[in-house]
Amino acid sequence: MTARETIIETQNLSKHFGGLAAVDDVSIKIETGTLHAIIGPNGAGKTTFFNLLSGNLKPTTGKVFYKGQDITGKPIYRMIHMGIGRSFQITNIFPNLTVHENIRLASQAMEDKNFRFLMDTTKMQTVEERTAIVIEKVGLSRQADIPARVLPHGDQRKLELGIILAPDPELLLLDEPTAGMATDQVPELITLIQEVQQSDDKTVILVEHNMNVVMKVSDRITVMHQGKILAEGTPAEIAANHEVQTAYLGGLYDLNT
Amino acid sequence: MTTNSNFLTRNRGILIFFVVMLLAPFLIGLLEGSSPAVVLANEGGLSKFLEGLGIEIFILAIFALSFDLLFGITGLLSFGHAMFFAVAAYLTGIALKTLQLPFWQVTLLVLLAAIVQALLFSIVLPRVKGITFTLVSLGLASVFHIIVMSSDMINLTGADVGLQGVPTPAFINPASERFRFYVIALIFLVATYIFYRRFVASPTGRVCVAIRENEDRAKMLGYSTTTFKVVAMIISSITASIAGMLHALYQPIISPTVADLGFTVTALLIVLIGGVGTLSGAIVGAFGFRLLDFTLRRFLGESASFVTGSVYVIFVLFVPYGIIGTLRLEKLSTRAGWKELFSRIRGNA
Repeated sequence: MTARETIIETQNLSKHFGGLAAVDDVSIKIETGTLHAIIGPNGAGKTTFFNLLSGNLKPTTGKVFYKGQDITGKPIYRMIHMGIGRSFQITNIFPNLTVHENIRLASQAMEDKNFRFLMDTTKMQTVEERTAIVIEKVGLSRQADIPARVLPHGDQRKLELGIILAPDPELLLLDEPTAGMATDQVPELITLIQEVQQSDDKTVILVEHNMNVVMKVSDRITVMHQGKILAEGTPAEIAANHEVQTAYLGGLYDLNT
Repeated sequence: MTTNSNFLTRNRGILIFFVVMLLAPFLIGLLEGSSPAVVLANEGGLSKFLEGLGIEIFILAIFALSFDLLFGITGLLSFGHAMFFAVAAYLTGIALKTLQLPFWQVTLLVLLAAIVQALLFSIVLPRVKGITFTLVSLGLASVFHIIVMSSDMINLTGADVGLQGVPTPAFINPASERFRFYVIALIFLVATYIFYRRFVASPTGRVCVAIRENEDRAKMLGYSTTTFKVVAMIISSITASIAGMLHALYQPIISPTVADLGFTVTALLIVLIGGVGTLSGAIVGAFGFRLLDFTLRRFLGESASFVTGSVYVIFVLFVPYGIIGTLRLEKLSTRAGWKELFSRIRGNA
């Protein structure tokens, strides 16, 4: 494997909630252009770890570096401008706005014209073009003009993905993108994520519970358990790891089935 | 919202309103048998009286519009909104009467005060959200109300009696130049409305709507939401100040009631009647509010406020989207309307 650049790195990252160490001394390096999955049982600290990466939470101790730059404690609205996009486990969209407006707002954030309060938004051509491309990409063209709240759950997950694709980030943090989706819709979304990652050479960090998906698509996997990193490696290494088997995978996933 | 539509077609509704309102005094004049020349000379009886009522409605509508920009568009429920209006009114009165400043300096002072107040509110904006912001804003405005009412300030503000004897510049004297004042107030209302419509369709305005819908998400999209809220706050306070200044110039007495919570609630009621976040609802609501109040007071006297109160409660219960809001709906679901209203009031904190 060729040595690639590290896009995001944590050093001794910890987050305590009272006496509970939700994330405990996690140091991790993630290479540019990979699809990296984070797995672990419920309560392992995956989402907290994500919140630390994306700036939604401030770490108790430790630091986060993005492309070598310390981003610990940066305001959350700066993240996307640096190239970090994040989706949520629980769908986080603008329910009363149309699908088009949801994506358009996400594209508009990258413009420097946001304080022209007499300008007509429909005249922001690059934003409109970008919006149309993203809506097409996530397959919501027919639903573009309906309020996001009336979309079925699976389509809302696609919209959520569209919202973070619109600003074209280099690093995508996807927190259970398929959560609550009907099984038959999962492959479609996963293919989409893979396409995005491969065609644009983006880095994707994924929290996912569906083991079949994780084993198939990931370049590398990190297993978290009780706030710590239990193991890290390629899907094959992880599947063969005895510790992981007993802590988490035991009975849940067997490479031979 | 098509890109090729021009100014006239885009603002058809409000421009028709403008023309109708402009012609109304003459039509009423003709009905009572006085020629347009008489109306222009401000000698018509009924037309002059109704112009006065119109001026009050226009001022209320401008004030309600500024409230809707914060509450209906940006999702900030301020209970201190009357302060913007009252500060401008009192400042205009004191500057003209006590300080005897020239009119342009008064205007400048009022605008400056509007921006300072908006920035004052902005100190708390990033720290408190939802209903907490509502209470903090109420506290801020109460301080001003107490200052206005205090007997130490009686020489400046007139305390609970109100500020009287403000010398209005001759060219807009509401007694001798009623029609001119009427047209000026109307122009301010129409201009504010057109400006607000543009604002809501602008990138800044769209972000304000996004903040109302889901502030945390807007932040994650990369918007410094506090900055946008401050922009909305400044625009709103300047608008409310214009209304307050017109009020001071029009009314013979500036009553301290314009500084208290009741006056903010007036704006809230107007917006509720017309439809929250619809903008045009503020104008429709102002007409409804003032005309209902006027008519009932005429027949019932002081007990009218009990009846008007009941009317509003029943109205909001059964028409939670307001007049304009309901017209825009495909079908009315009262329950969904209540839910939406509650979520708006609670904010997304």
